[in-house]
Amino acid sequence: MKVSKKIILLGHFGVGKSSLIRQFVENSFTTDYKVTIGVHILKKEVQIAPNETISLIIWDLEGYDDIKKTRASYLLGTHGFIYVFDVTRPATFQNLEDDITYLTNQYANTPLKVVGNKADLVTKSYLKENKAIFGVTPDFFTSAKTGDNVADLFTTLAKELVK
Amino acid sequence: MTEDDKLALLKDLLLTDDRVYAESIHAKIKALEDLIHKQQKLSSKVNPIIDEKLLEFTERIPETLGPTITEALAEQIKNSKDQVVEALYPIMGKMIKKYISQEISLLTERINKQLEDSFSSKSWKRKFKSWFGGVKEEELLLSQLSSISQVEQVLVIEKNSGLLIGQYTKTETIDKDMISGMLTAIKSFVEDAFNEKSQNLELIEYELYHIHIQSFVSFYVAVAISGEYNLIFKNKIQDIIFNFTDNFLNLFDDLSEINEAAITNELEFYFCTNESL
Repeated sequence: MKVSKKIILLGHFGVGKSSLIRQFVENSFTTDYKVTIGVHILKKEVQIAPNETISLIIWDLEGYDDIKKTRASYLLGTHGFIYVFDVTRPATFQNLEDDITYLTNQYANTPLKVVGNKADLVTKSYLKENKAIFGVTPDFFTSAKTGDNVADLFTTLAKELVK
Repeated sequence: MTEDDKLALLKDLLLTDDRVYAESIHAKIKALEDLIHKQQKLSSKVNPIIDEKLLEFTERIPETLGPTITEALAEQIKNSKDQVVEALYPIMGKMIKKYISQEISLLTERINKQLEDSFSSKSWKRKFKSWFGGVKEEELLLSQLSSISQVEQVLVIEKNSGLLIGQYTKTETIDKDMISGMLTAIKSFVEDAFNEKSQNLELIEYELYHIHIQSFVSFYVAVAISGEYNLIFKNKIQDIIFNFTDNFLNLFDDLSEINEAAITNELEFYFCTNESL
């Protein structure tokens, strides 16, 4: 039987949500920045076990500075969240703790992954030393540009969704 | 006086009061026994009559108490008109409004069509074709009508998540899961934008295509139609969707349990083999 799960990517403008999805679904990356208006939906089949695949329906929402402004009806029926911030832009993670608290309170039983993107722009030691400044320990540091940890992020979440 | 007589006299003198008392107790017990027996006898005779009367009364409640209850309700409604209207309006108002507007539009459309058909060149052409071709005009009309509109794709979509539950398609399009998601997003956006929580997006139109959307509590059905989409066709589509949900989807408590192929088969049966489409 076909299993489909809805995943939503949230976060500020320009943190690389669309790029992460494009890298995961199409294995491509472009430096041309196109702002997402409203919502964009993509799909990818993920193999989570030798004989088990799952369809991820990925909703790429337009970025908001305030998570509470996200259209609530888009979030209905979501099976998993990915909250993305830009490790190089403090404005995108200064409210990280509050945003994550808001999400976990509103959607207590929905798996959530916190992701620091654009990790290729900083050194690994920088990330290690500055983990505390993000407010919340990220589950993954990714790079949509190089593809580092991108597939791992989606596959880990997919596996959690079918548990 | 013998010894026995003396003893009897002594007994009399000593026990008179007790005996009277004992006799009165005996009389009371006897009376009670009679009463109990009499009641049992009485109830065995009376109970069937009471049962019968009770049954008769129950059967006649609508006749006997109906007018009283109706009158009391009418009085109550009359006295609290505002509260009643307030409670019923959101439910009834929407239904009535929708029903009336649809019926009026249907009527208008039928009249227009009839007028158009009676005097149009198309109508005369059809009549000539019928006279010379030997085919009934009604049959020609039906064949023309069926070519006007066509169901291209039917999607059954979970309302909140936008996940596809099942689909039936005549022509291959882009990924149905993505269409389902985008339709749900558009639907949510429109419904949010106008801040009308109790109203649903019912139609998306683009050039020669129309997407008819029928919303239910936990899912909605989207039907992509090519060609003309008029109220008569809308009515037919609605009837088919209602039949499909009543006879098939409503048999399941959890829609995610239904096999996608089973839904496709059912949709094909309702939408493809339906002669009225």
